[in-house]
This record gives sequence, structure tokens and C-alpha cells, in this order.
Amino acid sequence: MKYAYYPGCSLHATQKAYDMSVKAVCKTLGIELWEIPDWVCCGASSAHSLGHLLGLAIPAKTLVSAEKEGLDVVAPCAACWQRLVWVNHEVTTNPDMRDKINKAIGAELKGTSKVLSIMEAVNSAGIDKISQAVKKPLKGLKVASYYGCYYVKPPKIAHVDDPESPHLIDDMMVALGAEAIDWPYKTECCGASLGFIDFDTTLMMSKKVLDFAVKSGAELIVTACPLCQMNLDMYQSKINKKFGTKYNIPVCYFTQLMAYTMGYSANELGMGKNYTAYESAFSKIG
Amino acid sequence: MSTCVNLSQAQTDHGDFIERVRKMSDQDVRKCYQCGKCSAGCPVHNCNGMDVSPNRIMRMVQLGMEEEVLKTKTIWVCVVCSTCTARCPRDIDIGRVMDGLRIMAYKKNYLQYAKNATDFHQTFFNNIATFGRAYEMAFAIGLTLKTGYMFGILDLAPATLLKGNLPFFPSKLKNSRQIKEIVENIKRMEGEK
Repeated sequence: MKYAYYPGCSLHATQKAYDMSVKAVCKTLGIELWEIPDWVCCGASSAHSLGHLLGLAIPAKTLVSAEKEGLDVVAPCAACWQRLVWVNHEVTTNPDMRDKINKAIGAELKGTSKVLSIMEAVNSAGIDKISQAVKKPLKGLKVASYYGCYYVKPPKIAHVDDPESPHLIDDMMVALGAEAIDWPYKTECCGASLGFIDFDTTLMMSKKVLDFAVKSGAELIVTACPLCQMNLDMYQSKINKKFGTKYNIPVCYFTQLMAYTMGYSANELGMGKNYTAYESAFSKIG
Repeated sequence: MSTCVNLSQAQTDHGDFIERVRKMSDQDVRKCYQCGKCSAGCPVHNCNGMDVSPNRIMRMVQLGMEEEVLKTKTIWVCVVCSTCTARCPRDIDIGRVMDGLRIMAYKKNYLQYAKNATDFHQTFFNNIATFGRAYEMAFAIGLTLKTGYMFGILDLAPATLLKGNLPFFPSKLKNSRQIKEIVENIKRMEGEK
């Protein structure tokens, strides 16, 4: 299996641990990633707020190379993924917009490369293969799978899984030996980039997500989106300070947890780049 | 909201507002029958982040209350998580309506609540147009100079730098002008119209 890989800006800078763990999981499962040469930022979430065509043309630029190689694309960042999916949607359903996009990028995009989220790409290896690769099982660790909003809403465009009750990551967590807890805020928005605009509201939004995960018995939260990770992990201490709460729940990428069970060390997966302490939850693994 | 509005006057002056919103967002707000599901599920509204709930925005668009809608805080804090869109029984993509209203407000220069949002979008966009990819260090400093953004999270700065989560140098790519070229092409296309 070979995919064109679009890491996006976060995975090359503020969220390198996601990039490291995605590559580790894919290597173990025999998924080959070909990084799109000279890719540019997808523009989220500013380009589409400044202009509709602008918001489509910028991510379209990067899809051209993948299409030329005849490869489907994997984008691990939820925002990048949704922007690329929008481009494909417009290019394949709206000929007028397709012409405009192509004129703006000076190339011809047909929309023939499928755009996959990392959870779909990893899952495509097969649940059996995932569970066979596990060397250190999770032994019933209670994991809350947090999907956030971008992967499942709006469902006509973004439909990795059910918009209200997705289970793709949960299934993979069970394959790793975890207990996937049932909780209500799986697809609630964490606030995303609203943190740059209205920080207090964003903290309140993320607090609710943490609150439901903890009250549902989770020992660890796994995410698949750099913004979810940043808001729940990096800002957990800010939330505690602002609301007088004492949340102390590790938040990591599902690929970090998966690669760890497959034998990689915490160091190789950039666990130290996360802000919440993962050691006590990880000590139960193996 | 406690403002008094002359609805007949609003219809006379802004009766075509709903049509312009349709053109901008490709969504027909006429279909809204005020069930309120969008507001019930809106995570920003439920954290008291909005001044006017999403269903009221829809009604105000129907009534031609153009200025009032475009001057709300709501349109600038909507994160387009699309929970409203997913649940709307009338199949309106409310997230896209909000995107459209933002662009309309921006064009009319109704920016009372928009300072942080436009500062964020412009700083970020200039950043990626210059470097091709986000150069977070420059973005963080640039945004802080405009809005004081980083002053609220300075306590996280040492850990962030130590962990290597904020690289000092921009990502290198062969052609960093790709986004600028798209912007120039779109400007040219708009000029041709």
C-alpha cells in the first residue's frame, strides 16, 4: 500500500510527535508514505475566511502532484484533510468552480486522488494486522477516543465515520487491548483555532470535553487532530488555573499510543513533546 | 438583544439581503423554520461565546436585518465545526452561511468584534503567503504585537521552546512563492470580470 503524504505545517513544526508516530505506525503496518514534494500550507482556517476561491485554490495546488503520481493522499491533520476533501468535492461536482480553481493554480486538477484521513489509512491495513503487530498490549487501559468535529462534520463532505457516534478509532484501540470507553463528547468541538480569537471561550469548550472524558472513566484521551491535541494537552494547565479544576489526564495522538504498543519507545514517538504527563498511564502497558 | 428594529423598513431597505446571502454562501436561509437545533448544539453558543444565537442569526437574515447581523460577535466566533449543519432538519449549511456573512461584514468594514479575528486571519495568511508554509515563530510574534496573544500564555513558553515545539527557523521549500502566485492569479481573474 502506498499513499501520497501531506503532513501539513503542524506536523513539521509544532506537532512533530504526530509526524514521528504516523511514520512509525505506517512503517510497522507496511504502509508506504511518499511525501508530496514542495507542498504548501492548506490555508486553514484563514484562507477560506478571506475568500471562497482562495480557500479552495491553495489546498488544490498540493493535490496536483499526488494526482500526477496516481496516488491517493493521506493528510493526518484534520483541518488539512477537510480542506483537501472540499477541493475534491468542488472539483468533481462543480465544473464552473473546477475551472476557476485550475485557472488560479495554473494546472489541471481532476479530483481523481482520494483524500484519506490517517484513521482511514491505518484502518485500511486491517484490524487483524493491527492487533497482530501489538507487542505491548494495553491491558484494558480505559481510552477515550476523541474525534473532534472536522472529520465527521459537515457529514455531506466530511464523513470519515458517523457524525454523532464514530467508532473507527475505538475499534483500533480495542485491537490494541484497550477498553474503549463510551462517552458523549466524541465529536464535540474543542474550540479549534478560536483560541487565537477568543481564548476564554475556547478554554471553556475544551474544559467540557476533558470533563466528560474524565467523568466517563477515561485514563487517557487519544486524538487525531493537531488542534484538538493542542487545546486539550497544552492548555490543560490553563484550564485548571482558570476553572480551579484538577484535570491530570494524558492526551496523545492515537498513533503515538498505537506505535508504543507496537514496540517503539516513548522517545521515538516524541511523547516528551506532549505537555500532560503520560508516564503513569503508560506504566500499565506491556 | 434589546435593539428596536422597524421590520417594514428593514424589508424595504434590505429585502434582497437573503438573496445576497444565498449568492455568497450557496445556502437558502428562507428554508429555516426556527426549530433551534443549531443553537442547542452549538458549542460556542453553549459556552456563552456568542452575543446572538445561530437560529436568531438565521431569522434576522430572513427579516433583512443586514446591519444588525453583520455587526454581531457571533459571525466572528463561529468556528465552523458544522454541528449545526449536521443537525439542521432543513438541510441548511449554517457554517457556510457564517463564512459568507463574515466575508460580507469584512467588505462592509463592520469590524467592531472582528479585530482579533481579522488580525488572526491576516497575520496567519500573510505568514503563509510569505513562507509557503506556516512559520509559527514569526506568526506568534506578529499576532502578539497586534493582539497581545502570547502574553496570556507566557507561562507555557519555556516548556514549548525546550520541547522543540516552536522551531526558530521557517520550513524550507524550493518555491515559497506558490501561495503568492495563487493570490495574484485570483486578483487578475477578479479584474477580468
